[in-house]
Amino acid sequence: MQLTTAGQDAVTPALRKSAARRARRAQHRRLWPFLLPSALVAFFILLYPLGYAFYLSLFNYYLDTGASTFVGFANYADLFTDTRFWAALTRTIGIVVAAVGLEFCVGLTVAYGLYRLTFGVRALNLLMFLPHIITPVVAALFLKWIFAGRWGLLDSLFATFGFFAPDWLGDPAWARVTVVLADAWQFTPFMILVLFAGLNTVDPSQIEAAQIDGASGRQILFRIMLPSIAPIIAFVLTMRMMDAFRYFDTIYVLTGGGPGTATETVTMQTYALAFRLFQIGKASALGVVTLLIVLAFASIIVATVGRRKGRT
Amino acid sequence: MAAVHLSGINKRFGETHVIRGVDIDIEDGMFCVLVGPSGCGKSTLLRMVAGLEAIDEGEISIGGTVVNDRPPKQRDIAMVFQNYALYPHMTVRENMSFALDLAKRPKAEIEKQVKRAADILGLVPYLDRYPRQLSGGQRQRVAMGRAIVRDPQVFLFDEPLSNLDAKLRVQMRTEIRELHQRLRTTSIYVTHDQTEAMTMADRIVVLKDGVVEQSGGPLELYSRPANTFVAGFIGSPSMNFMPGIARASGGTMQVDLGRGASLPLPAGSRADDGQAVLYGVRPEHFQLGASGLAVEVVVVEPTGADTQLYCRFDGHDVVAAIRDCAECRSGDRIVLAPDSRRAHLFDAASGLRLIA
Amino acid sequence: MNAGRFRTSQILLFVALAAFTAAMLTPVVWALMTSVKQPIDAFAIPPKIVFEPTFEFHRQVWLEKGFGRFLLNSAVISLATVVVSVSIGTMAAYALSRMSGKAVGGIMLALLSLRMFPHMLLAIPFFILAKYLNLIDTYPAMVLALVAINQPFTIWMMHSFFVDVPKEIDEAAAIDGAGEWQTFFRVVLPIVRPGLWVTALFSLLLAYNEFLFALVLTGPHTKTLPVAIAEYGGEDLNYWSLSAAAAIAIMIPIVLFMMALQKHLVRGLALGAVK
Ligand SMILES: Nc1ncnc2c1ncn2[C@@H]1O[C@H](COP(=O)(O)OP(=O)(O)OP(=O)(O)O)[C@@H](O)[C@H]1O
Ligand SMILES: [Mg+2]
Repeated sequence: MQLTTAGQDAVTPALRKSAARRARRAQHRRLWPFLLPSALVAFFILLYPLGYAFYLSLFNYYLDTGASTFVGFANYADLFTDTRFWAALTRTIGIVVAAVGLEFCVGLTVAYGLYRLTFGVRALNLLMFLPHIITPVVAALFLKWIFAGRWGLLDSLFATFGFFAPDWLGDPAWARVTVVLADAWQFTPFMILVLFAGLNTVDPSQIEAAQIDGASGRQILFRIMLPSIAPIIAFVLTMRMMDAFRYFDTIYVLTGGGPGTATETVTMQTYALAFRLFQIGKASALGVVTLLIVLAFASIIVATVGRRKGRT
Repeated sequence: MAAVHLSGINKRFGETHVIRGVDIDIEDGMFCVLVGPSGCGKSTLLRMVAGLEAIDEGEISIGGTVVNDRPPKQRDIAMVFQNYALYPHMTVRENMSFALDLAKRPKAEIEKQVKRAADILGLVPYLDRYPRQLSGGQRQRVAMGRAIVRDPQVFLFDEPLSNLDAKLRVQMRTEIRELHQRLRTTSIYVTHDQTEAMTMADRIVVLKDGVVEQSGGPLELYSRPANTFVAGFIGSPSMNFMPGIARASGGTMQVDLGRGASLPLPAGSRADDGQAVLYGVRPEHFQLGASGLAVEVVVVEPTGADTQLYCRFDGHDVVAAIRDCAECRSGDRIVLAPDSRRAHLFDAASGLRLIA
Repeated sequence: MNAGRFRTSQILLFVALAAFTAAMLTPVVWALMTSVKQPIDAFAIPPKIVFEPTFEFHRQVWLEKGFGRFLLNSAVISLATVVVSVSIGTMAAYALSRMSGKAVGGIMLALLSLRMFPHMLLAIPFFILAKYLNLIDTYPAMVLALVAINQPFTIWMMHSFFVDVPKEIDEAAAIDGAGEWQTFFRVVLPIVRPGLWVTALFSLLLAYNEFLFALVLTGPHTKTLPVAIAEYGGEDLNYWSLSAAAAIAIMIPIVLFMMALQKHLVRGLALGAVK
């Protein structure tokens, strides 16, 4: 009633491959209608405009006069010799590093505090999360009313005690500090949330084992917990840096890039070029350069996330 | 109802050749069990019958029709999954009627079928519950109910009992068997548990590494295993294998097991002088005797019905299940006599059964 | 460690964290107070904590200063964005969760980086194209832009819910005779419905909060709340109190949103880095 044969491989490797591929292709054919609408969106309102932006970056295009001449990569060349661009770039990097560094240090401290706390954790966590989730423009306004000259909360407190308050938004150095603080106000909660969730993913039996081995709380944090959430830390740091790099809303509302160009980041500069000076070509080139910088960050994220996905 | 034929089936996942030229014929109304160790390709084979996995080479036919290129819904099969795969957002009733609903059967008929299946499986009180409100055994029954309402040509089961506790497993085993006797639907049942295979099957197919090692009725596999793999896999506790050399002496062939132990060839087997062989005896086919293997008892495990003796012979473990041996102690030296009518002989090199 | 010392250290820890939380909430509370203070109280030095509240400015903002209209714009644009983005993104996510092969992983990672790319680069061509097509200051332009920047998030998020549905469920449905669309609409989608709500709410938040595209693409007819409040200028004597009232009101739906989604915040914001 039956036969048993191991069967020699009579089939060539090429045939073999094609059979597997055929099966997968059949499955994909059944599913591609599901992908179609999204693919159309991605193509027509995401990839096409991006390509168009690159195309625009090759022209000297003034929106107000409508004049447009092909200049090749001249816009890029101009950028790299433009001191205002380099100044904006270094300024942006400075703001990003200061803000993300501050957020990480405070975020980790608070997250660890929450981790150790045994009561009221949920309520505190939720309350301190509020600044992150409110509309960025609104958040910036809230801060503006803290830092505003004379009427702001800080100034009126200073005045109450007879001190002379610095000009938080009008002094170039203080304006940069204020911008950093504003970013930190909005994004430290995000750091806390992710790091706290990360700390909670550490296997408790690992920690118990270390306690039995006689490790102190600090040793457990630095030798066991932080190394085991290192991928999460890498992820959240790069993600925050990319976000901070492209960030726009807060600075626009808070300082508008000023005083002068004291808080003009690359993104603010792109906005000013495109929508105030109407130099579309040059602004597009600046946008493309920003994209390349952010992509460099993204590849770090992709590497960490990809590795995590591969591991699970 | 229908017969199922698999011929020359091959399947590869990338470079791994998972199913290698399998032929199985399952007659109409038969309960066929695919059994084998984990990873041998049982699920893959079953999924190919169901139409969930593409067939690289070979042909599968159900009820005389080749179904290779048909999607599952055109194969008229029903399947019970290991984790049941119940629809969590539907009640038991909705789970069971879903297929009929899709097939646009009239409401009255759907209701009748669901009622019938629920009656058979004792699910009537649970019809309006959701799967998460049921116990493991009840979920299992819903999964079967979902299959029964369809009244398909073939039932496919993929380790349906492996998520249940031991007691429930035995109970469900009987229930499935009874169900089959009642409905007489051709069934293919996958398990890695040889007890399940032995107790449920009309026909067992033993798979290993994607190859059929042997197929036949449970008793046929038990009493005439084709090779050492099947011999060791079927039966519990497993068969003992003792290496030896076949020697002609005084006109009869003997198996020399070393240590002065020499046994006559098992009934119906044949060996050449000097051939390296494996002498196989099931634990239950030993008796205490005067001539045979002189062994030392290591562990004694009385199970009530019999006593299992774990012994050492010439550096090998030998397990024996003896009826009345209450007086055995560990450390005792005893002589085990195999029943040569029920012993087996295999070629040591190929592992194949040596038949006269 | 003895129980008493543990209690004390826990209380100290709680006090420290509560103080931090209070500091973080100060700007919100300050704005809230400003919005219900008479100007004379608002500008007092030292700042007044106790005062006679007034809701006059809240009333004025919505009834006299045109914010009702901006709220309508925000609502229309955000809801339309969510409907379009979530429906097509959900289908795509389902397909991606059921496909295999290298390309799928590539697409997922591409989506992840698209979620992060500088929106300014997209705002420029969008502005030019919308100008050519005469779509500036219309709802469709704004909705399309928001759908575009929302897609990567929607797909990524829904994908994480779909992969949690075992493949066997689809297979059971296929055996029960369901086609792809029936499997999707009648089996898999109902199972991930809670995830669908979470995704929709996050998309709503993204759309509601969006500023840059609204600044570039909207005009007098379609101006959304963030643009309106950012532009709301000092022409008014009570400008401070009025814009504080508006800002607080804009924040209220978000507070509700946060309450509803507190369990899902990590999933929605950390892109699967932590689960
Ligand atoms: N989709 C797949 N891709 C690649 N390899 C696979 C796939 N499915 C199964 N395999 C491989 O095919 C072999 C057979 O798998 P299968 O699931 O059929 O085993 P099984 O006999 O059902 O085992 P178990 O008793 O553990 O369920 C295994 O080695 C497995 O790793
Ligand atoms: Mg299996």
